[in-house]
Amino acid sequence: MKVFLSLARLYLQSFYNLPGARRRSGAASGAQRVAASRPAANFRTMLKAVGIGLLAVFVLANFGFMFVSLNLVLYDSLAPLGLQGFVLLNAVILASVLTLLVGFMTALSTYFMNDMEFQLLALPIPPRALLGAKFTAVYVAEALLSLLVMASAMLIFAIKRQPPALFYVAGSLAGLLVPLPVLALVYAAQIPLLSFARFLRNKQAILVVGGLVGIAFAIVFNLYYQGMMANMSDSVWLLRNAGPDSVLAQFGRAWPPAYFAWQAMVAPGLVGFGRNLLPLAAICLGAPLLLIVLLGGRYAQSLVGFNEQFIRKMTAPASSGFLADRLRTGNRFWSLVKREIVGMNREPMYFLNGPFIIVLLPVLMAVMLGVQREALLEGESLQALTGLLANGAGTVVVALAGAFLGSGTSITCTALSRDAKLLPYLKSLPVPAHHWLLAKLVHGLIFAVFGVAMAALIFGFFFRLAPLDLAAGSLVGLALSFLCNLLGLLLDTVNPRLSWDNPIAAMKQNPNAVIIMLGVMGLMGGIAYLSFRFRLTTGQFVLLCGGLPAALFVVLLLALPGWAARRFTALEV
Amino acid sequence: MLEFSGISKSYAKSPVKAVDGLELRVADGEIFGFLGPNGAGKTTTIKLLTGVLRPDAGRMDIDGIDIAAEPLRAKRRFGYVSDNPELFARLKAYEYLNFVADVFGVSSLDRQQRIDHYAGLFEIKDVLHGSIGSFSHGMKQKLLVIASLLHDPANWILDEPMVGLDPKSAFALKEIMRQRSRDGKLVFFSTHVMEVAEKLCDRIGIINKGRLIFSGSVAELRAAQGADSSLEKLFLELVDDEAEAQP
Repeated sequence: MKVFLSLARLYLQSFYNLPGARRRSGAASGAQRVAASRPAANFRTMLKAVGIGLLAVFVLANFGFMFVSLNLVLYDSLAPLGLQGFVLLNAVILASVLTLLVGFMTALSTYFMNDMEFQLLALPIPPRALLGAKFTAVYVAEALLSLLVMASAMLIFAIKRQPPALFYVAGSLAGLLVPLPVLALVYAAQIPLLSFARFLRNKQAILVVGGLVGIAFAIVFNLYYQGMMANMSDSVWLLRNAGPDSVLAQFGRAWPPAYFAWQAMVAPGLVGFGRNLLPLAAICLGAPLLLIVLLGGRYAQSLVGFNEQFIRKMTAPASSGFLADRLRTGNRFWSLVKREIVGMNREPMYFLNGPFIIVLLPVLMAVMLGVQREALLEGESLQALTGLLANGAGTVVVALAGAFLGSGTSITCTALSRDAKLLPYLKSLPVPAHHWLLAKLVHGLIFAVFGVAMAALIFGFFFRLAPLDLAAGSLVGLALSFLCNLLGLLLDTVNPRLSWDNPIAAMKQNPNAVIIMLGVMGLMGGIAYLSFRFRLTTGQFVLLCGGLPAALFVVLLLALPGWAARRFTALEV
Repeated sequence: MLEFSGISKSYAKSPVKAVDGLELRVADGEIFGFLGPNGAGKTTTIKLLTGVLRPDAGRMDIDGIDIAAEPLRAKRRFGYVSDNPELFARLKAYEYLNFVADVFGVSSLDRQQRIDHYAGLFEIKDVLHGSIGSFSHGMKQKLLVIASLLHDPANWILDEPMVGLDPKSAFALKEIMRQRSRDGKLVFFSTHVMEVAEKLCDRIGIINKGRLIFSGSVAELRAAQGADSSLEKLFLELVDDEAEAQP
């Protein structure tokens, strides 16, 4: 048990990048340890914790709002039919399905974390403790997600019906218990799969598969959510999709944990509560135990030889021909840019969380526009919308969407952080400091152009915008995203995240990426407010919201060489 | 030629100096071995020398060029093999070599000839199309060595170059060092392998707790210590004496 607890703590710290893991990490140099003890460093740590806390609240509020609004509309639509209890069943099923999808991706991406797993395999750790600890670490995130979904449904009932306290106890316990059997199923599928499918026993392949599953999940969830929201006023549709005979309800009744969780909340009195909660707890706690007992050994075996790589060797004549063909002089600056592009986009972790946003978000947007097309683009709404778009709003929408896509890739605001391991080597090369930074900026700007083009394409197609509006919006989008990319680069040069063991920390867990993302969103909100509040004409909008950022971009770019040389030279890893 | 004059370096205002008042001169054609226990300041010294770190005090010249004042000119004068070969995992080996050759402005013909020669010597010519991430530690080390020689530098600076190399490749590396020394070029490397230092180096420097406690030939070290022992024994005695002498 002690081994299991220690291991679970280790996995929790590694998964969620908790302070304990960073303290234990060998990556922290003596200098950093000294720095960490100083008051300024403590203040920075505190500030970072507050920032991350605010971000967590923001994300939770965002998702919470989405779930609450969905459940509220569902409640208001089902209550007149006397079927409001199905809102709770719907929530339990949603929690189960989300656990299945998110849990599948999390379990897959953390199945083999890194070479630390080999060190653990070499220790006398019982395989069941190994699987149990990994399961526990993954479960924590799933339990939080499930609780959020259940809380959003309970909140509606709290406002509308004021149920007894037992209802909340049942709902909370259901939120905690429901992910357990689902996650056990996920592992029960993945362990045999990764034991026998050799190509999947590779971190790279797993990241690609996980990324694709994530995209599919995002699209399906978006379809579900948009479909629900768009058809809430249609009672026939609602009964078919959320009523007692819907596929959802049938699935809920057939999946015992969902059925017992639902009944524990709706059955009256302590007896009903106990009669449903006991089987729920037995199933939910029994499933992971069964998994760990039956598949613990198989899991540990599947980690052996994970991430094996081999190189196919060339024959002597082939290698001579290859070298003569490929070893060619290239432009020096373009070599730096190429290194940036290749280094980021061949690393799935970086690509999926960075430049891929340019493809993913427009696809999600297209799904939303496609599903809600009737509601958005027909009848009076269409007239109102087209009128608005023709009067300059189209330019604003394209500009802001372009700015968001062009700045949301996190290329420049993580550029130095991602290079942390390479910095000593790069600094030893005879390349002016500002050339390194300019290459990083050019990389970001290339993808910014793609982002703006994508926004123009999507909105131009769906809202049938005039070419002039599209061009004006694209220009402003380019100016804004260029400026945001440059600001991101400056931020990561001032405050790069240089101490990390896992690329995730350089990208996903990099505060600079969050700051820039929130900054871009704030800027977008500000520009939208200004342009509508003062009813800016297209010309005024381009001049003010495109011209000013462009001018600022040029000024900062001119200041970059001298400043960058000092900052870059001062960076010590 | 390398010249250190009063070089000192501390990390993050730590009161302990990682390198303390280093004075050293290494002449062209010399093979100089830099020895010291773990954490003695070897890698810090090399990072200072290659412009990766900035000293708090002192001056370093490479072929008479002050690296702080003219970093780009100075950096063109040396090839550097870092202590960590786990670099550029996402690049293919030939892409990395092209990248370094472009940075140093090496012509197509020169890069082809040099890569062909050194990759043949280290027996990795047949995998240069592969991704560096799939290479073993030793193969990555060989790739770094080849990259550091692409511009045929006058000064070759290596940090623990023998780590991870198989005996044949280690022999090839030592032969390259000797050849470069015969050609009048300078080789400066850090190592823990006493036998290598003893057999290969014209002179050695021993650093402990940031201070250079000896600089000279192995014969001079024997004379100074008054014992006809192996370098390993002499090194251990010297480091122990130094530890006892300090409070």
